[in-house]
Amino acid sequence: MKRMSKTMALSALVPLCALILGILVTSIFIFLAGTSPLSAFEVLISGAFGTTGKVWPLLITLGQATPLILTGLAAMYSFRVGVFCIAQEGQYVFGAITAAWLGVALNLPPFLHVLVVLAASMVVGGIYGLIPAWLKVKLGVNEIISSIMLNSIAALVLEYMVAFPLRADQGQKAQSAVLDRAIWLPQFVQGSRWGISFVIAITLVVISYLYIWKTPKGYELRMVGQSARFARYGGVKADPTILQTLFLSGMIAGLAGSMEILGNYHRIMTGFSSGLGFDGLSVALLGQSHPLGVVIVAILLAGIRQGAQLGLQINLHVPRELGGVLIAMVILFIAAENVYRPYLEKLYDKIHAPKKELDHV
Amino acid sequence: MFEFLSLFNVNVINSSIRLATPIVLAALGAAMCNKAGVLNLAIDGKMLIGAFTGIVATYFFRNFTQVGIAHPILATYLGVLTAMVVGGLFGLFFAWMHIKYKVDLVILAIAINMLALEVTVYLMRVLFKQAGTWSDPSIVQLPSITVGWIAAIPFFGSFLTGYNMIVYVSWILAVVLSIMMYKTRFGRHIQAVGENIEAAKAAGISVQRVQYFALVFSGVLAGMAGSFLSVGHLTLFTRNMSNGRGWIGNAAALFGFNSAPGSFFAALFFGFADGIALRLQNVTDLPPYIVQLMPNILTIVILAFVSYRAKLRELKRTQQ
Repeated sequence: MKRMSKTMALSALVPLCALILGILVTSIFIFLAGTSPLSAFEVLISGAFGTTGKVWPLLITLGQATPLILTGLAAMYSFRVGVFCIAQEGQYVFGAITAAWLGVALNLPPFLHVLVVLAASMVVGGIYGLIPAWLKVKLGVNEIISSIMLNSIAALVLEYMVAFPLRADQGQKAQSAVLDRAIWLPQFVQGSRWGISFVIAITLVVISYLYIWKTPKGYELRMVGQSARFARYGGVKADPTILQTLFLSGMIAGLAGSMEILGNYHRIMTGFSSGLGFDGLSVALLGQSHPLGVVIVAILLAGIRQGAQLGLQINLHVPRELGGVLIAMVILFIAAENVYRPYLEKLYDKIHAPKKELDHV
Repeated sequence: MFEFLSLFNVNVINSSIRLATPIVLAALGAAMCNKAGVLNLAIDGKMLIGAFTGIVATYFFRNFTQVGIAHPILATYLGVLTAMVVGGLFGLFFAWMHIKYKVDLVILAIAINMLALEVTVYLMRVLFKQAGTWSDPSIVQLPSITVGWIAAIPFFGSFLTGYNMIVYVSWILAVVLSIMMYKTRFGRHIQAVGENIEAAKAAGISVQRVQYFALVFSGVLAGMAGSFLSVGHLTLFTRNMSNGRGWIGNAAALFGFNSAPGSFFAALFFGFADGIALRLQNVTDLPPYIVQLMPNILTIVILAFVSYRAKLRELKRTQQ
């Protein structure tokens, strides 16, 4: 019991410690820009989680977090099954392309239309997720390298699609036609991007938790993730589980792209993704590959990016890349947890030492 | 029929070799790391850092030191050297983190790649007030060196010379590494670690020394490759300048079975794919994106092929 609480405390302490260290190092960069770090972080936080103004920054952050929650969830499935697939970016982009294309090409009753578009995007994302999985399982290709290639392929296909087949007009910007208003996914507060997609994302988070921890399929998934060979002795074939899980993972990332088109952009343009899918990877890593962690970290990361852009850059003229620097620093300190973990353990023991003596009495 | 051949003129070959150079350097470093059992996925980020420090250091040496004011070209060489040192330091940091603290190199690499992308743009904005691209007229490009007697060789001469120092260094490195790996004691130690880390340890080889060397070495090469992009090929820095070349280098190393000559030729091949894609774009109506897709798809196909062979070999070994 004692041990258990210690592990749990540390799994919360380590990200917290990484966040603090990240903030400290990032402060040096804020100094370089000639601003006081204290006021910078104040602006960052109010730009991220403030509840003032016509559209609350907090709601915009929740809207921005929606695709991150989903791509984070997608990456989580991949990590849980023991495959380090980082192709969520590509799946996200392909989901978006599918939505932008079918959203214009089909002519169905609105409700059915939305369902068909979402389902098609999920299938496309899923199939794109199957590629690295199949290459890994059947041929032994390193999934990290194949994912990277698949991401750049998706980026190029996007450029091609918006420049030629999906292009709406010969205007300056390469972009597709605006979707019919009837199939837009509703937003709760106009201009906040916070809408029905967020509810769907949270629902999927809950379902994912139940699936992974409360069903036999989920048990197989975790077993394969811990050790493929061990799972085999337990009568679970690793290969089909990996393929299924990565299909599922791709579906979620594809859905994320699709809902961004239907609920937010309403059309697709060059540079549409800006690394959003890739951020999902960080979300899953920082969230300790747990659905709850994914939600918290996704909202936090979306807030940092949002606060850096709308708060820092506009109000204090600190470049918005600072948000990215902070996120990267936090990942760095999470990766380097072994360096300071012993100190945290000592600290924990020190705080709990007197209590322990009492227990013995 | 022969119109197709006009694609392969001297210009295309020259530009392909230039495009291949950063990939060659990345691949040689990646191959060394793979041999040493330390998967280095941060080459792309270190290349970007090298590109940035290379041009900033050049700017500094050129304008704020006596040497640079008197000899502009020397300032550029010093810039390249700085980029190499910084790349090496990052490699050292990786090695230290991994060997001393057992830090996961893949996650570390993700952090460094992201950090490189964001910090370089951040610093470009803060230091030079530029958002997308930065350049300064005082910076002199790394000069091309034409060796007279090589240029005089019929047919081959024209594409064997006329490049800057880094291109020649990458070739020399490929040769030196090939010899080192098979003919020297340290080279054989690296080979042994590449075959089986545990066995190498048991045989008394210092695996740590090999891993330190590999990560620092690949960092130095990535730094040099980065400075090739910013002060060797052009004289500017742009956001995300490495643009995945480090990753292509990783792929090329695997494609070349992690041997020095193998990675060298694989990287050269990728450079040629790029060069020909550029050329095709100029002389045909194919959308550029489709041409740019080819090297990516080719990488996956080749990786599938290479990995499958390795898997079969592994199966054979376990059956024996």
